[in-house]
Amino acid sequence: MDAIFEDFAAAYAVESGYGLAATISPVPPKHDPARFYSLHRSANAFSVQTELRSKLQYSPIVQLDKQEATAWLEVFVAFHKLTGVLLSAEEAENAGRETEARWGQVYEVWKEVVNALVKGYQSGAFYAWTIPCLYVAGKYLRIFAIKADDSAAAQKGNGFAYGGIQEEDAFGTGGKNEKLEDAARQINRIFGLCVSDRAPLEDSRKWALYYVTNLLFKTYFRLNSISLSKTILRSLAATSSDMPTLELFPKSHQVTYKYYLGVINFLEEDYARAEEELETAYGMCHVGQSKNRQLILTYLIPTKMITKHQLPSRGLLQAHPALSALFTPICTAVRTGNIKALDDALAIGEAEFVKRRVYLTLERSRDVTIRNLFRKVFIAGGFMPLKEGETTPMRRTRIPISEFATAMSIAGAEVSDGEGGIDSDEIECAIANMIYKGFMKGYIAREHGMVVLSKVGAFPNTGV
Amino acid sequence: MSGAAQGSQDTAKAGLASDSKDNSQPLQPQKPGAQLEEDDEFEDFPVEDWTKEEEVGSQTTATHLWEESWDDDDTSDDFSVQLKAELEKAKKS
Repeated sequence: MDAIFEDFAAAYAVESGYGLAATISPVPPKHDPARFYSLHRSANAFSVQTELRSKLQYSPIVQLDKQEATAWLEVFVAFHKLTGVLLSAEEAENAGRETEARWGQVYEVWKEVVNALVKGYQSGAFYAWTIPCLYVAGKYLRIFAIKADDSAAAQKGNGFAYGGIQEEDAFGTGGKNEKLEDAARQINRIFGLCVSDRAPLEDSRKWALYYVTNLLFKTYFRLNSISLSKTILRSLAATSSDMPTLELFPKSHQVTYKYYLGVINFLEEDYARAEEELETAYGMCHVGQSKNRQLILTYLIPTKMITKHQLPSRGLLQAHPALSALFTPICTAVRTGNIKALDDALAIGEAEFVKRRVYLTLERSRDVTIRNLFRKVFIAGGFMPLKEGETTPMRRTRIPISEFATAMSIAGAEVSDGEGGIDSDEIECAIANMIYKGFMKGYIAREHGMVVLSKVGAFPNTGV
Repeated sequence: MSGAAQGSQDTAKAGLASDSKDNSQPLQPQKPGAQLEEDDEFEDFPVEDWTKEEEVGSQTTATHLWEESWDDDDTSDDFSVQLKAELEKAKKS
């Protein structure tokens, strides 16, 4: 108990929010790994009250007023209770008795810690510089909820719950994400606590908003209720006029926020906005955080194919072998205009692409693939002989439809008419589609069986 | 999986512990294709804030991320070669 209180007093004296938050973290500090054991043994549920009260109320170092001391007392009494259930859950797990680890109970007791904290803020007992305590509160609500749901699922799965052994977690009436759904509500409460703070900005809980928002995004994504993120975005937008701008927040908050905002826009097919957010997130990301870089790129790569028709450079893929495995087959197909290879790559990777929520976007790379294929036909057509007065040779711009047909059938597009020939309507349709979408400039001269391409910029933005 | 049926009868603790692992398998079918890390959640950064120099965008190697999807210089891949040959053939016939 002394160790925790010493840390508390030291952090309090210099108003270090993170230092303070560390004292209620359910992960013991590295320099004192056995802290929770000694805390748990040093007092029981009754004596902890009196011991802590005297420390908090009469400490010459921190000098809390009575209301604040009482509020912290509640937090630490709950925290003391937590160490008990946490230690036994961890012991059970470490001994290979996972089924006995009562993570549901850990979650509920952690919620008591969180409630005590929230109460302290609501009553105005806690200063805004202490908000990192709310980060720890929300972070572990999520973590313990996931553990609780996982272990409940495992117990249901192996029939343990029906074996006559009392285990309240396993009999939860809710769905498989019961605790995590509750955690989302609790974190939302913390969001409300911060967004409604009317104190001047320099002393406002609004500085916690992006961290808490990110936690909510993360939780909603895991629950597959991404639409709920929009509600949070609306609340943020509504308060934006009296809120510090995003640039003033720590970069970890900014990058995470922009990542999720980018992915939300990506899923809503607002690719221009997605590109902007994801690109900023990538550029600002800490260079050592390769998993996060990779996650940003997982969405930025398909986005770039749509917005700029660009592919990741070979260097970029080489730096991320997992991304390379995921995207190289698609990229090669797009680059070479190989429609069959694209279909194959989409089919092989389908499960993984669907899981990453990028399948539908990748499917749209088909247009660029066909554009690249038709461009190859144009390039293969070569140049016209120089006419009088001309100094630079002109590319051949009148191209038989049959050449496009040949290209499409080599590329493995399904253009057969079912009788061994080629369905020319199918080809003309593909060409018309390219022209309509602005991938190609020109027109189809049906009576001549020709495609007449623009003499200048027949394939916009591709140098020809 | 036969282990699932066994697990409900077996009351030995060791058996249960290992069965709980076995049983989790059918819930997560093996996914074909490329694999990223199983847990696809955005990680907490180990530090709150960092300097401009530590940003990805400030690294000298980060300059060339994207390239055009059309590849003008490379017409030597098998597919391009085949395309060219077929087009020639079609033109002559």
